[in-house]
Amino acid sequence: MNKSSIAIVALLALIGGFSISWVISSNKPIELEAGLWFGEQARALPEFELVDHNGQVLNRTSLTGKWSLMFFGYTHCPDICPASLQTMSDMVQAIEDPDVAAALRVYFISVDPDRDNAEVLASYVTYFNPDFTGATAIMEKLDPLTRSLGIAHDIRNKVEGNPGYDVDHSSAIVLINPNAEFAGLFGAPHDALAMARDLTRIVEYN
Amino acid sequence: MITSRLSLVLLLIFSPIALAELEFRDPWIKNLPASVPVRAGYMTILNPLSEAVSIVSLRSKAFTSIEIHQTIEQDGMMHMEQVTSLKIESNSSVQLAPGGLHLMMMNPSEPTQPGDLLEIVIVLDDGSEQRVEMQVIR
Repeated sequence: MNKSSIAIVALLALIGGFSISWVISSNKPIELEAGLWFGEQARALPEFELVDHNGQVLNRTSLTGKWSLMFFGYTHCPDICPASLQTMSDMVQAIEDPDVAAALRVYFISVDPDRDNAEVLASYVTYFNPDFTGATAIMEKLDPLTRSLGIAHDIRNKVEGNPGYDVDHSSAIVLINPNAEFAGLFGAPHDALAMARDLTRIVEYN
Repeated sequence: MITSRLSLVLLLIFSPIALAELEFRDPWIKNLPASVPVRAGYMTILNPLSEAVSIVSLRSKAFTSIEIHQTIEQDGMMHMEQVTSLKIESNSSVQLAPGGLHLMMMNPSEPTQPGDLLEIVIVLDDGSEQRVEMQVIR
């Protein structure tokens, strides 16, 4: 079993565990269309430290006070990353309740720190929405966060002098609550309108 | 005699049955900021012919190279694989769309802008070529 399979099995076990305990413990379930909501079973994030596209530290403390959506990818990914960021941009636009929109932040976390410096990330994420934040760190610093969220990533075919390598990565969009706890996730394919309705329900409920 | 021979030659040169003709619907390219050296292109390819046709290569003055790639979900991870020859069966179509098959277009020769029309050349397995104008969309 390779590293990614282990991560997936761990993620599935995690989701399974959450789902079962959520069904048992929750007496007021929120009906979601596109997402998986962990309810009372939200889990605290470990300590981690990334740097955002403005050069500011992004850690557990910076995630408190707002709802955060995180997507993991890399800017040289031509298909699924722009599609997911576009979906999140459409989703933000589709949220009708201004209080919900104001309570939400969107992060694009690059798992390709060698190519995605702050400058590249800044122009990339703000292309989709000026309020989006890009962040990354060296692998050792990315791992505590990605591992705790069940996000697998793997650089492929990287050889000296070839800048054209690919990075495999999980496609889930992760939801973190204002207590900096892993609170839910949206699996691919992502639907902007369904996500907007789900997030409105979650934020208004809490 | 000369005229009829000339007609025959002209007929052969311009005969529509001599070359495979695919139809390319809604060809578009997702724009990205200039800092990113790749673009993805999408379209629906229709093959109205009585035989299957394969796309074996693509090129454009607007990019250093163009490949057909497929995004595949494998072990829960998104992974890209090159498709070296894309076969379109007789009387059927293939869709290139976000999250699946797409054109991987590398190193734009100039920064792309929404509204740009970029021409690409599609080379088929019978050696024939078709030109397609793709619109850059925000």
